[in-house]
Amino acid sequence: MEIYDISYLSLVACFLLLVIPVFVSQYLKLGIIQDTVVSVSRMVVQLAFVGVFLTVLFDLNNSIVNLLWLLVMLIMATHTTISDVGLDLKKLLVPTIFSFIIGNFLVLLYFNMFVVNLENLFDARFLIPIFGMFLGNSLRGNIISISSFYDAIKRNENRYLYSLSLGAKKHEAILPYARKSLDLALKPSIANMSTIGIVALPGMMTGQIIAGSSPILAIKYQMAIMVGIYVSTVMTVAIGIFMTIRSSFDEYGILKQDVFKSTNA
Amino acid sequence: MSSELLNYKDISISYGEKKVLSHFDLDIKQGDRILLKGRSGAGKSTLLKMPMGFAHQTSGNLYFNNSLLDSNTVWDARKRIAYVSQDLDIYEGSVDEFIEEVFSYSFNEGKLDRTKLRRLLVYLGFEKDVLDMNFEELSGGEKQRIGIIMSVLIGKDIYLLDEITSSLDAALKEKVANYFLERKEWTLVIISHDDVWEKENVKVVPVGV
Ligand SMILES: Nc1ncnc2c1ncn2[C@@H]1O[C@H](COP(=O)(O)OP(=O)(O)O)[C@@H](O)[C@H]1O
Ligand SMILES: [Mg+2]
Repeated sequence: MEIYDISYLSLVACFLLLVIPVFVSQYLKLGIIQDTVVSVSRMVVQLAFVGVFLTVLFDLNNSIVNLLWLLVMLIMATHTTISDVGLDLKKLLVPTIFSFIIGNFLVLLYFNMFVVNLENLFDARFLIPIFGMFLGNSLRGNIISISSFYDAIKRNENRYLYSLSLGAKKHEAILPYARKSLDLALKPSIANMSTIGIVALPGMMTGQIIAGSSPILAIKYQMAIMVGIYVSTVMTVAIGIFMTIRSSFDEYGILKQDVFKSTNA
Repeated sequence: MSSELLNYKDISISYGEKKVLSHFDLDIKQGDRILLKGRSGAGKSTLLKMPMGFAHQTSGNLYFNNSLLDSNTVWDARKRIAYVSQDLDIYEGSVDEFIEEVFSYSFNEGKLDRTKLRRLLVYLGFEKDVLDMNFEELSGGEKQRIGIIMSVLIGKDIYLLDEITSSLDAALKEKVANYFLERKEWTLVIISHDDVWEKENVKVVPVGV
């Protein structure tokens, strides 16, 4: 099948379309021209950088380099999780990294081995984009579950202590909160699967079809990816919560206050 | 060894620069009724939180059943001691949901006697069907009474009661106090300004004079 390339000239033609939002903004005094320019420029620079970077990475296609790049992605994801939820980086670094590695990397290996049947499990063309999709989704899941968990346990401090005083073991007192936050984190992924194809064609599938794949092949990939994303998200989020819990409660079963970034003092 | 249940030995507590308690001693034996008295901020609540592991001394030791209270023994203490706090904030879910949760803990399994629960609710002055209500709808005193009932159902026999009668009307104050004082086998440590507790056999202990 023929691949329809986009020439740089046609890309310019595409950017010409941006004249429309500029006019809309001008006419309705929305004041979004500056924001639009900044956002579009950022997008161009970032994607150009990624494009060049991935080209080099794909040409090189060295397993070690590919794995190192995954490591960089992992560290970025971990950093984003922890700084987003306002917790102390040092305390939760190891458990969070661990959750991303187990949750994403194991599923990825299984995926490349048994689903895509790759000869080289660390082939850049599969390893990096698929890992990116897994990581992006489990990152969102981890942020929701960890932040809602620590929020809830802080908000319900009295209730939590009261459970302990009524004979709850540590895990019995913690579990109701962990359960709720896992539920919260997984709901979007579940909803995503049940509406896919009806509400919107997923980006990956659209991309494949435009690039020349048959819709059936694109759908098969999409199904596989969705399952992979869901499984890796469930694993990451579950491991993430239970690993951070291990290092954030003391032996009396009480939440260590230094888990939170100190805002006072 | 004596039959001391709780033994505060030379306890001092400070928070930062602020000294709250210094060299406090108290022996509590089975069946004792002790009323802690002292000005607000003297450290009374803190003393009652210690056996639960919710507050810690700066120096000195606390013994429970003649063994040092630490992160291992505190779990046993929590099974036997009921601590009814002055600010019991349980504000998510209904009363019945919370009761179900508490009696699903392995230590409490099979202890939920619904007949006894209803009898206690009536005795402690609940008229409406409080079980279906949400905790948000209850007053502080109502929450505390639910707390008391749960501790009784679990079968605890050491009660640390932090201002549990302060927001009740006179008749109910009397009723609640009598309920506890009549059970001679129970050990009580009470913080209260209400004179319904100042009965025979109740020993007044000053805190932080
Ligand atoms: N976790 C804590 N951090 C800092 N100060 C505390 C803490 N807990 C109690 N305090 C202080 O210790 C003092 C004693 O408190 P408390 O035991 O509640 O007194 P009481 O019950 O006798 O009124 C109070 O001044 C209180 O502000
Ligand atoms: Mg107090």
